[in-house]
Amino acid sequence: MDEKIALKIEGLSKVYQLGRRKEVVALDNLALEVKQGEIFGLLGPNGSGKTTAIKLILGLIFPSSGTIEILGQKHTEVSVKEKIGYLPENPYYYRYLTGPEILNFFGRIFSLPEETLKERRENLLQLVGLENSGHLALKHYSKGMLERIGLAVALLNDPEFLILDEPTTGLDPIGSRETRNLLGRLQSEGKTIMLSSHYLSEVEKISNRVGILHQGKLLALGALRDLMTEWKASDIEDLFVKVIEWSKH
Amino acid sequence: MVKALIIGLNTFRETLRLKSYQIILIFALLLLGSSQLFSFLTPEEQLKMIKDVSLSGIEIFAALLAIFTAMTSLRNEFETNTISTLLSKPLRRSEFILGKFIGSVLAITLSVILMAAVFSTLILIKQHSLEAGLFSATFLIWAEMLVIVALTLAVAAFASTAFTLIFVLFLFLTGHLTGYGLELAQQAKNPLLQALTKIFYKVIPNFENFAIRDEIAVGVSVSLSYLLKTFGYGLIYTFIALLLCLYFFQFREV
Repeated sequence: MDEKIALKIEGLSKVYQLGRRKEVVALDNLALEVKQGEIFGLLGPNGSGKTTAIKLILGLIFPSSGTIEILGQKHTEVSVKEKIGYLPENPYYYRYLTGPEILNFFGRIFSLPEETLKERRENLLQLVGLENSGHLALKHYSKGMLERIGLAVALLNDPEFLILDEPTTGLDPIGSRETRNLLGRLQSEGKTIMLSSHYLSEVEKISNRVGILHQGKLLALGALRDLMTEWKASDIEDLFVKVIEWSKH
Repeated sequence: MVKALIIGLNTFRETLRLKSYQIILIFALLLLGSSQLFSFLTPEEQLKMIKDVSLSGIEIFAALLAIFTAMTSLRNEFETNTISTLLSKPLRRSEFILGKFIGSVLAITLSVILMAAVFSTLILIKQHSLEAGLFSATFLIWAEMLVIVALTLAVAAFASTAFTLIFVLFLFLTGHLTGYGLELAQQAKNPLLQALTKIFYKVIPNFENFAIRDEIAVGVSVSLSYLLKTFGYGLIYTFIALLLCLYFFQFREV
């Protein structure tokens, strides 16, 4: 049932050549599918290859081998990017622009009609709680506010597929809960969400399926409940530790 | 093209806010203004000197600003990682590069206009009139800057900031000397040297084609066909440099 697959990755590897003899395998033969309408959590310790995988999916870096398809199209097609929303880890935008200005800028990159852009800009600023910060340049934003405006930028094109790299970094507990609720609401609207995080409890609360990456290899993949049964884990943290420990042997 | 224009306008806005851009421009304007100080010369010599020195000054400062602006416009995107957000959107790499070119050219156009305005005011004070040749000279300096912006972007697309700065300055200086180099090599009668200078002469843009200050200083006018031919020559180099830039940038990971 190909039409239900939002993301299909086959044999994806990324090797960095360091000089003539040394090479670093950032991602090793990754294969996974993300179904349409699900929330997929990509877990792994720092340096496990999560961000590398996301950058490959977005075409920001190039694979050493393997293929990526998003919503049935090759991932490098410009038209497929119209359907993707992306929140980078530590989102940084043009610091001298205000929140509404940055949304206008990206809205024009998406070729949104001015009327639609105006409506979405106001709704999104309200949604992320920045409706009263319109006069502030981004250089005066706190880390949490930058994360919120980043989320607004990611949702600006009303994407079918949302990719979030560490979406709750910099958010306080209330902000994290609001983001979780928002992601749940987006899922109920039929959107597919892929998020990477090392905050295990966050992922546990919202993900339908997870993949655990370590040293570039996908060690476990499946529904959280199934994985916990398979690995005899009491919670997600226990599962994570057992999988990582197992990989060392 | 519309998206390139959006990137271009944003790059232009960003450049105008850069302290270093403002400082170089203010310094250039002050220096141009100070060419009034050649008061020890006769009025006629003073006028020639002002034209010659000011046009050289405009060219050198415009070149510095062109290199700096184009280089910074690309480097900042990488340093702040805004490029990864941008390229995750429906934006082609070619549109991004074209946008950077448009933005840098807009910033350079503004600085050339401001420097030319100061220069023209000085001439008006001294001469009470402006000859068409001054506009021709300024136009060719601007055309030269198109080439320099494109060359800087091409090098910055794959190289470090330091390398870009040194290499493009080297090209700028060499581009002014290749004509003389060719003449000298022919006198030296060394086949290897002659071949090398010929290659340099053919590959590196001859920036002396754009410099008509000597003619302007002594009141010799330059024909329209020369202006158009030189402008076309500049456009060809600009186009090639932008293609090279795009080629290098296609393989750059962000």
